[in-house]
Amino acid sequence: MHIPDGFLSVKVSAATWVISLCGIALCLKKVTARLKDKMIPLMGVMSAFVFAAQMLNFPIFAGTSGHLLASALASILLGPYAAAIVMTCVLVVQCFLFQDGGITALGANILNMALVAAIGGYGVYSIAKKMTGIIVATAMAAWLSVVLASSVCALELAASGTVALTIVLPAMALAHALTGGIEAAVTCLIINFILKVRKDLLYKP
Amino acid sequence: MEHAFFDEYSHSDSVIHRLEPRVKILAFLLCILFIAFATGYNLKIFVPYSITVISLILLSKVPVAFIFKRVVSLLPFILMVTIFLPFIQSVEGGEKVSWGALTLPVSYNGIRLFVSVVMKSCLSVMLTTLLMVSTDFASLLKALEKLRVPSLLIMIISFMYRYVFVLEDELMKMRQAKECRSVGGSQWFHLKAQANMLGVLFLRAYERAEKVYLAMCSRGFDGHARSIYDSKIKTRDMLFLVFLAVILTLIKLYG
Repeated sequence: MHIPDGFLSVKVSAATWVISLCGIALCLKKVTARLKDKMIPLMGVMSAFVFAAQMLNFPIFAGTSGHLLASALASILLGPYAAAIVMTCVLVVQCFLFQDGGITALGANILNMALVAAIGGYGVYSIAKKMTGIIVATAMAAWLSVVLASSVCALELAASGTVALTIVLPAMALAHALTGGIEAAVTCLIINFILKVRKDLLYKP
Repeated sequence: MEHAFFDEYSHSDSVIHRLEPRVKILAFLLCILFIAFATGYNLKIFVPYSITVISLILLSKVPVAFIFKRVVSLLPFILMVTIFLPFIQSVEGGEKVSWGALTLPVSYNGIRLFVSVVMKSCLSVMLTTLLMVSTDFASLLKALEKLRVPSLLIMIISFMYRYVFVLEDELMKMRQAKECRSVGGSQWFHLKAQANMLGVLFLRAYERAEKVYLAMCSRGFDGHARSIYDSKIKTRDMLFLVFLAVILTLIKLYG
C-alpha cells in the first residue's frame, strides 16, 4: 500500500502533503496536551514497536504470508492521535531507510495509513464498542482501517491519472478486504491478550 | 541477532559524502521532484535523467550493484500496480495482442505511461537509496530538524531508531524460542502464538518507555533535547546545488 515516487500527479501530491501536515500538527498538539514530556519516549518506543510488529510475517493460506498494518491496533492501545503520530514516524523511517514509499508520495502515505486508518479505525472502534463488546469492535476497526486506507490509496492513484478508478478501486478494496480479515483476527488476539494481562493499558478517552 | 545495516557505506569518503547534509537533502529532493513529476508521454527525457542519477552514484563510489539490488527488491511492488497500464489506456493507436486464447487490446500510450511510471519510480528509489547510504541516519535527522521539520517529530524518530533494533531483537528471540518448542500444530495455533508474542512485545515496550522516561526525568529532561549542530554550508556545497539545478532545468527544457 506504500505509494512510490512517480505515481502521483503534482496536484494530488501537494494536496495530500498539505492535508497530512495539518493533520500531524493537530495530532502533535493533542498528544502533547495529554502526555506532556512523556510523549517523546513513549511515542518513540511505541513507533519502534509498530515497526517491529510490521516485520513479523503471519501465515495466511497455503504458503503465503502477510504482515500487519497495525494502525487500528495502535489506535486502540494509544488513542487515535497518538496512533497517527506513531504511524507517521514509522512511515517516515520506512521511506528513508527502506525506500518503502516515495518522498513525494509520503504525504499521501501518511494520509492513508496514519490519518485515515488510525483515526477512522478508532472512530469505528469507539462507536462499535458501545453497541457490542471490545473484541467485536476491534475486529470491525481493524478490518475497516485496512479497507479504508487502501480505498483512499486507490482514489489518489486514480485522481493522478496513473490508473483507471473503475479497475483500481475494486481491485485494491477486494485484495485488502481479504488481508483485512487477517489483520482483524490478529488484532483481536492481541487485544484479547492485553485485556487478560494489563487491562489498564488500553486507551481511555 | 543480525540486522541489516542501512547506512553501510555512510562512512566512506567521496564528493557526495562530503556534501553538507542539508544541501544534500535539498539537492536530492530537487532531483526527485524533477524526475517524479516529469510530464507526458515523452520517454526520451529519461535518458539524460538516468545519466544524471548514474553519475551521482558513480561520484559517491557506492557500488552500483548495491543500489540496483534495492531497486530490484522494490520492483515487484511497483509492477504490481503498473502492470495493467498498457491494457487499460484509451484505445487510440492500439493493437490487439493474442496470447493463447486471451486477446487483449494494447495501446501505445498505455505502454508509454507504463515505462514512464516505472522509470520515475526506479530512478527515485535509486536517489533515495543513495541519499540514505551516503549519510548516517543521525546527521540526516539533525539536518531535517535544521530544515524546519518539527523537532518533536525528529526527537520521536531518533528514539524510535534507538529502540527499533532492541525490540526487533526481543521479537526475534521470542520467535526463535517459539519455533524451537512448537513443531507442527495447526495454522490457528501459530497465528495465536505469534499474536500473543506481539502482545508481550507491546507490554515490554510500554514498560521500557516508562523506565526510559523516568531515567530521563532524573537526568533533568525538560522536554527539549539540546545538541550541537556545527556543520556549515560551504561555497562548494552551494556550487554543487546550483550546478545540479542548472542541469535538471536544461534537461527539462530541452529533453
